[in-house]
Amino acid sequence: MGERPRLLGLGFLALLVLGWEGASQVGLVRPFYFPPPSRLALAFWELAGEGFPEGVRVGRHVLVTLTRIGQGYALAIALAIPLGVLIGRIPVLDRLTLPLITFARSVATLSLLPLAIVWFGVGEASKVALIAYGCFWVMLTNVIAGVKYIDPILVRAAQTLETGPGGIFVRVVLPAALPRMFAGMRVALGVGFMVIVGAEMIGTIQGLGALIMEARTYYRSDVGVVGMVLIGLFGFAIAVGLERLERVLLPWHRGLEAVRR
Amino acid sequence: MRPRARDAALGVTGTLGVLALWEAVARSGLVSPVVFPPPTTAVVDALRRVPLPDLAGHVGVSLLRVAWGFALGAGLGVLIGITSGWYRTLAALIHPVIELLRPIPPLAWIPMAIVWFGLGEPSKVFVIFLGAFFPMVTNTYRGMTGIDPVLLRAAQTMGLSGPRLLFQVAIPAALPDIATGVRVGWGLSFGVLVAAELIAAERGMGFLIMHARQLGEIAVIIFGIILIGATNLVTDYCLGEVIRRRLGRWHPG
Repeated sequence: MGERPRLLGLGFLALLVLGWEGASQVGLVRPFYFPPPSRLALAFWELAGEGFPEGVRVGRHVLVTLTRIGQGYALAIALAIPLGVLIGRIPVLDRLTLPLITFARSVATLSLLPLAIVWFGVGEASKVALIAYGCFWVMLTNVIAGVKYIDPILVRAAQTLETGPGGIFVRVVLPAALPRMFAGMRVALGVGFMVIVGAEMIGTIQGLGALIMEARTYYRSDVGVVGMVLIGLFGFAIAVGLERLERVLLPWHRGLEAVRR
Repeated sequence: MRPRARDAALGVTGTLGVLALWEAVARSGLVSPVVFPPPTTAVVDALRRVPLPDLAGHVGVSLLRVAWGFALGAGLGVLIGITSGWYRTLAALIHPVIELLRPIPPLAWIPMAIVWFGLGEPSKVFVIFLGAFFPMVTNTYRGMTGIDPVLLRAAQTMGLSGPRLLFQVAIPAALPDIATGVRVGWGLSFGVLVAAELIAAERGMGFLIMHARQLGEIAVIIFGIILIGATNLVTDYCLGEVIRRRLGRWHPG
């Protein structure tokens, strides 16, 4: 995008925010329905100072949420990579597991919430398990696809150069599958941020999802919107960070357009 | 055996194997059958507690909600995606707002949805709407802006312009991306549905499992989870087939 459209967009955005604030000041919209930016700033100040609810400060909410996502995400990826490589490399295993994996992917992660509560209680374990479940299947299918659809010419070329099976795996298969794995990691991260809000609806007052839901209980829509903005902001920032990391780590595969299309 | 039949046979074997393993573990006495019932018991129990007509009612209500939310979200998403893909100024105005709102997970909107629309049907439909809207608008926009310029110029050389250029060339060229948006949006709508139904619903598949949890009926919970997954799988498959038949002409495979 050039300079002019960007300025236009930012100007429009600023206009919207000003209009929103103005409409609320004049009394056109009720602040409870559309808490204006000034209210949001105050709510954030309150969150940072006294904390909400029951003195839980904003840093704590963010930390708790990120820790839960991080644990579930790391667990999912640590399990999905070796399993996906195995399934992707052994065609019989791939055919045996295909319907199961397809079905497991279709299961709405949050529908597992009641079961997770029965199995793991209302504590941390059930939340981490839900995030891990959601991330795992997305990651697994991407790892399998990455390993399975490697250009056979690459493998044959390596064989001609008398590379052993171990060498082929480390020097051909893995590098060729990495872009797809990164794509999986990015999608899985989005899933994690999506699931956490649902997972934090129950049995906790810490975390951004809990903050959003507690704000509703106390009729504090301003605090709720601050929570929404924060979770959006962190989700966005981490996704961008992952993309940057990908560009540094995988310089041989710019952009991933081939995978996405 | 033909390769396709062999693949299917292997798939069935794998699925049955896992079910058998589950059955065996649940019956071995290592875990309590109340907390971890074998699949056969879960299905039989669930069907005894929730009669089939009730079950069909829950599925119907949920599908109707997803259909409404999806239709509204996909409709608006395609409309905005196409118009902003066609008019640069509109894109410059509207996309920063969309990009700002997109990272907010649809579920995080639930409290505001309740504030705006109350606890009834519209708030659930709104949250599902969000699930469909964002993938739809980004994919449509990507499709519209990614059209091969040669295609457009060729059509212009042949005298097409304005609405005819848009409807006869640009939109058909963007259809594969729009189709991607439909698939992603449907999946996301379905994922959001359950959460929307966890709050203040009296019917629907999400309500079914949440209610079962309060009653401590694990069999019904497990059955409900499988039911939701199966409904998602079947509807997604149908959607994929429809898209494949319609788009097959332009986009083989």
